[in-house]
Amino acid sequence: MGVFTSKQQATSVFTTLFGILLDDERFASTVRKENLSVQFFHSDPDLTVYVSADGVWIDETPSAPVISIKMSCDNADALWSGRLLMPIALATRKIRIKGSVAKVIEFVPLLQPAFDRYPSIAAQAGVGAGA
Amino acid sequence: MMHMAQLAAPSATDAPTLTTLPAETLALRDTVRAWANERLAPHVRRLDEDDAAAFDWDLVREGHNLGLTRLVVPKQFGGLGQGEFGVAVALEELAAIDAGFALIFGATMLGQAPVLLSGDPRLQARFLPLFCGDEPVLACNAITEDQAGCDLLIPENAQFAQGVMRARREGDHYVLDGSKKFITNGKVATYATVFANMEGHPGATGLTCFVVMLDRPGVTLGDVADKMSYRSCLGTEMHFDHVIVPEENVVGGEGGGVYINVQQMNMARAAVAAISTGVARGALEQAIEWAGKRVQGGMPLRKHQFTARKLAEMSAKVDAARMLYLRAAHLADNEIPAPAYEPAVAKLFADRIAIEVATEAMGLMGARGYLRDHGMEKRLRDALGARIYEGTPEVLALAVTEAIYDDDDDF
Ligand SMILES: Cc1cc2nc3c(=O)[nH]c(=O)nc-3n(C[C@H](O)[C@H](O)[C@H](O)COP(=O)(O)OP(=O)(O)OC[C@H]3O[C@@H](n4cnc5c(N)ncnc54)[C@H](O)[C@@H]3O)c2cc1C
Repeated sequence: MGVFTSKQQATSVFTTLFGILLDDERFASTVRKENLSVQFFHSDPDLTVYVSADGVWIDETPSAPVISIKMSCDNADALWSGRLLMPIALATRKIRIKGSVAKVIEFVPLLQPAFDRYPSIAAQAGVGAGA
Repeated sequence: MMHMAQLAAPSATDAPTLTTLPAETLALRDTVRAWANERLAPHVRRLDEDDAAAFDWDLVREGHNLGLTRLVVPKQFGGLGQGEFGVAVALEELAAIDAGFALIFGATMLGQAPVLLSGDPRLQARFLPLFCGDEPVLACNAITEDQAGCDLLIPENAQFAQGVMRARREGDHYVLDGSKKFITNGKVATYATVFANMEGHPGATGLTCFVVMLDRPGVTLGDVADKMSYRSCLGTEMHFDHVIVPEENVVGGEGGGVYINVQQMNMARAAVAAISTGVARGALEQAIEWAGKRVQGGMPLRKHQFTARKLAEMSAKVDAARMLYLRAAHLADNEIPAPAYEPAVAKLFADRIAIEVATEAMGLMGARGYLRDHGMEKRLRDALGARIYEGTPEVLALAVTEAIYDDDDDF
């Protein structure tokens, strides 16, 4: 079994995580100004997370995302926890991204609040407890 | 097995062609073409025949004023914010006149690429604005070493690389020891992105990328390589003797150098394919002009069927090479990690046809093709250069077949 014991647990963690990002003024205003949207395609458990300035959608695609990111839930956990470095994850194709590279370069630094908050959100939700 | 869909050309909407280049790219192409024809071309013979260590900062300054040193630097730092697509189109224009000059700017972009790819806003804010001032600033990317050449370009062979430059962590900094070879711009750059292996890792499996300011104590530069062509850009040995680099200058984390290297190689191959395409195009255009006016057998050469066939083949090769590099550059601008297949195929093809086209073009000019006066023999020498850097045909063939047999899904 992976670090997430159920799809429900993963859904709750990622909804909270991206909700926090949308509360971050810099993230929200840049995403709105640049009309950015990103969709994560997670596996094990399978779910998609769509984030735009208007909110977070699970397993729904309100419109075609500007950036698509594919990774397993285990790799997402390792990434947000800081155990998996983005360059290494990309080198080993643990993470794959489609969309304008220029937009991605602009987008990645905006994610810092998610890196800061993920460990406590995950711990609170009991992520990894069953692994 | 790779899906055939990946081998097919992307749909017309996402694969711009030279006739449907975005307006911004067209404007860039025309600006660079005009500068290369009017300002660079008159100096090509001098640049080629000058001493190996001669470097024309005045022309570089003119290129800088056009934005060629900051093409890929994001607009927020004062750059032009171009992707590989714009870069490749611009480099074709430069290489049609002088491949060495294309590489001065191309190598600078290779020095910028790791900083961009790191996604690290602090590194970007420290190093990228350097290129956006009034005076030209160049960078270089230092990978090749005396013992380790292609082994540093084939990820699977990293374990076999020998004598690779060492990096050791000491508290809040790293210590680098070793030497690099053939580094374009090494002699004239402000900083280098240097790839060294973390102590304790076999071969180059602990490859790590560092931004090293070249005025650091312990950095010395060797002689400039006396190259067969590409003489307007300088290739240099670089020695690092106990060079102390702060930890903030690590790009992509310890061991992240393998990724940075592969990613930038896949991006750069589209641009180098464009350089080869430019060399081929330059030779073709000169051959077309010559065959249109040189009369033998009572008519211009082009009217002879054998010559017509040659010109048509050469033209088809240049067009095909351009389509391949545009496809590769377009994909490199829209996928992370950049694809391995399309850039490798584009470079493999363009490097080969550049040599073929330049050879045919030289033949079409008879003895004049063999003389320095007409510049055609220099185009052939240029054509032979790109086959070596950013992947020899053998290295590219391995990258292509790895991708063909890759069982990645179709994300
Ligand atoms: C104009 C120019 C500019 C350059 N600029 C730079 C630069 O800016 N930075 C930098 O780091 N380097 C630069 N280089 C160096 C260049 O990248 C290397 O020369 C290149 O990678 C080949 O390495 P090598 O010369 O050591 O050849 P080797 O690795 O010794 O290869 C020799 C031959 O063996 C073949 N070969 C090697 N391994 C294999 C294999 N596994 N399977 C089959 N065949 C193999 C090669 O294809 C080649 O034909 C430049 C070179 C040139 C010519």
